[in-house]
Amino acid sequence: MKKISLLSIFTLITTLASYAQSSEIEMAEGLRSSGKIWVVVLVLLTIVVGVFVYLFTIDKKVTKLEKRNS
Amino acid sequence: MSLLQQITTLVNKDLTLEWRSKHAVNGILLYVVSTVFVCYQAFKTVDTLIWNALFWIILLFASINAISRSFVQESQYRQLYYYSIASPKSIILSKIIYNIILMTVLSVIAYVIYSLVFKNPVGDPLFYFIAVFLGAISFATVFTMVSGISAKTGNNSTMMAVLAFPIIIPLLIVLITLSQNALQGVDRVESYNEIGVLVAINVVTVAISLLLFPYLWRD
Amino acid sequence: MRKNWWKILAACLVSASVVAGFMGPVPKLFLLHETIRNVYFHVPMWFAMFTLYAISVVYSVKYLNGGNPKHDIIAVEAVNTGVIFCFLGLLTGMQWANITWGEAWPSDSKTNGSAIATLMYLAYLVLRNTLEEEQKRAKISAVYNIFAFPIMIVLMYILPKMTDSLHPGSGGNSTFGDLDMDNNMRPIFYSAVIGWILTGVWICTLRYRVALLERKANQID
Repeated sequence: MKKISLLSIFTLITTLASYAQSSEIEMAEGLRSSGKIWVVVLVLLTIVVGVFVYLFTIDKKVTKLEKRNS
Repeated sequence: MSLLQQITTLVNKDLTLEWRSKHAVNGILLYVVSTVFVCYQAFKTVDTLIWNALFWIILLFASINAISRSFVQESQYRQLYYYSIASPKSIILSKIIYNIILMTVLSVIAYVIYSLVFKNPVGDPLFYFIAVFLGAISFATVFTMVSGISAKTGNNSTMMAVLAFPIIIPLLIVLITLSQNALQGVDRVESYNEIGVLVAINVVTVAISLLLFPYLWRD
Repeated sequence: MRKNWWKILAACLVSASVVAGFMGPVPKLFLLHETIRNVYFHVPMWFAMFTLYAISVVYSVKYLNGGNPKHDIIAVEAVNTGVIFCFLGLLTGMQWANITWGEAWPSDSKTNGSAIATLMYLAYLVLRNTLEEEQKRAKISAVYNIFAFPIMIVLMYILPKMTDSLHPGSGGNSTFGDLDMDNNMRPIFYSAVIGWILTGVWICTLRYRVALLERKANQID
């Protein structure tokens, strides 16, 4: 049973792989090869980190207010 | 009094009240006839898809009008009296049962008038009728609880629409698929899924109403 | 001092998912091409939304059982935050659908379902606005919240499975498991989901604490 399932998975993967090759699916290889994509990643990372830092400062502020009020 | 006795008494009371005034039935009858006539004048002939959608929309508004009254038609003091003599579970159950009866009668009347004025070939009449019946029950169970909630808010009719529409849309989607299947005379086995979902939703809504209503009326 | 480790974890997981989501290996798929990477950003919005709505229902139940007004505040702030994530999910979904499925609003059961679920929760917020007395508002909105939740589950999980949908995991389509996601994507996807859920919960707690402060300030006056 295990063998059969393994075999079927294997055939599925190989057919999928051949399907992928035959239809020539375009990926952004050019963008990646030059390495410039890292700039975009860096920008996004900066935004995300900035938002989180902002959240942390709000968190601190609320904590301070809570302490003052209690 | 046991729960069953309380429920039968309350349902009887509601039915007698309705029978005396014939308020809901007459109003809805007028509403359905006029809407059907307006639709007939506007469309003359339509294909089955629109025919089906129109019927459900008419029924939806008729049922909202009929059921939104179920908690506000009686005065605050009388409700207080009911609450002092009956348990909240029997009150909500009796309202649901009464609304199911009312909705079944209304939807049968609406269906007959609609199909008389607006002729349309129905592939599987019995099955379409089952769909209408299931729709009437689902409208009744869902709207009873929502009308209980909206009765507490003051401006009843607006809140009823706001609260009820999002909740009823999933049911309406299932009902329209089911009745469309019946209209086209698709094999009945195909629609068992939809019926299962409808029954499940109804059971869940009734159960939740039973659990939640005691919290709602106590204030 | 509050324990803040999970907030740092949330920040780290989301940042990591951004980097790995762009640079990590993805399978080559028909139609999706590089947009498969959207899975790391669009889907976690829905997971965060569901978690927040579930939190809201749990606290509504707690409120009805105990009558603690703080539980009601948690319930409403969870819904407020969940609605934001819901809108983000809808918007990102529309942008993605515009490219891959050809239109921003394909008549897809999951898309429509989530739009209707949004209406449901907006109705909850409208209901709260119409009631003025605090206790009554808390109780009635808790009842509506619990009443609407199972129907939302039907809307977003069961109906899309029955009808044809473009989304994975519904209709005749394959689930995330088989085709769309290979084992390279899985850890990134799960870390993104956990990161965004934690972020959602964090924003919710912030709103809750601010609401508590406001309440206190109003009581003194």
